[in-house]
Amino acid sequence: MDAREAAVLECIYKALRSLNEERPADEQIDIGPSTCLFGESSALDSLSLVSVVVDLETLVSDEFGQFVSLTDDRAMSRVPVPFTDVGALKSYLMELLGEAVPA
Amino acid sequence: MTPNYEGKVALVTGARRGVGQLIAKHFLAHGAQVVGFSRHEDDGQAHPHYHRVVVDVGDAESVMRGFEWVRKQLAHVDIVINNAAVLTSQYSMIMAASSAMAMVQTNLLGTFLVSREAAKLMKRSKWGRIINIGSMAASLDPVGDSVYAATKAAVSTLAQVMAKEFAPFNVTCNTLGITAIETDMLSQLPRAKIDAVIAALPLPRFATADDILNVVDFFAAERSGYITAQTVFLGGVH
Repeated sequence: MDAREAAVLECIYKALRSLNEERPADEQIDIGPSTCLFGESSALDSLSLVSVVVDLETLVSDEFGQFVSLTDDRAMSRVPVPFTDVGALKSYLMELLGEAVPA
Repeated sequence: MTPNYEGKVALVTGARRGVGQLIAKHFLAHGAQVVGFSRHEDDGQAHPHYHRVVVDVGDAESVMRGFEWVRKQLAHVDIVINNAAVLTSQYSMIMAASSAMAMVQTNLLGTFLVSREAAKLMKRSKWGRIINIGSMAASLDPVGDSVYAATKAAVSTLAQVMAKEFAPFNVTCNTLGITAIETDMLSQLPRAKIDAVIAALPLPRFATADDILNVVDFFAAERSGYITAQTVFLGGVH
């Protein structure tokens, strides 16, 4: 994993840690590369996922100085959506950062 | 009670003229930093705490760029006034699709996009007030204003749903349904039509600036944290 990829992963983890800070001790999400974010086996309800996605847009913008949108038509129409798990989200962000313009 | 907006950032769309300009000046006069979203490079506002950002509210990319500027320059936004609107008054059977689409794009989609991006910032600070400028047209169903009235009814519904979605972040969403006030937009309508509408109101007069600002202050107040998903019409319209 190169430095850029590691930094993207850390942004995702930060967003999930931020979510954990707002959750009770018995509802903490296990954070890792295969953490499921969307679907039946996800520990996140829909509002929690929205929180993570919104926080992540800001974190990535701050980290890379590039503006990315995780809620545009392209992301939402992709099958499967790029939020299925941490790995898929990381891959999608890497793809976006490869073409994003500076913020 | 005199409002105090010191330390607050208020964002007003369509701040170049009319009701938007009125509200922007009000917030400036009471200590807020004001961001004016406008499609025009020169919106005529000059104040050390006024920040003009060229944004087309009907364009998602433009709105996101505008809020990126707000986040980087001012860090937060506390109060949003969704005021930008366009009006074409015409019988439905001869209304051009492009005119109808322009109203949907600015009045409804613009309100949605600005509220969406504002909520992302407000979520971080766990405080926010989103105030949509609606219209008596949403309730009075005036002939010639089918699409305009529909978009204004829609922003009330939008606020009601968003109120539920944003409540966990202490963000309220309300709508102020204004009656006619002397603005540039009003000059696009036949005077006889306006006078007839005004005469039929329970309080048959034009709205004043203070009528509007009174409700804006109410919705924006710290004490109004338990007021959300509401539409308040002026002049006795319901």
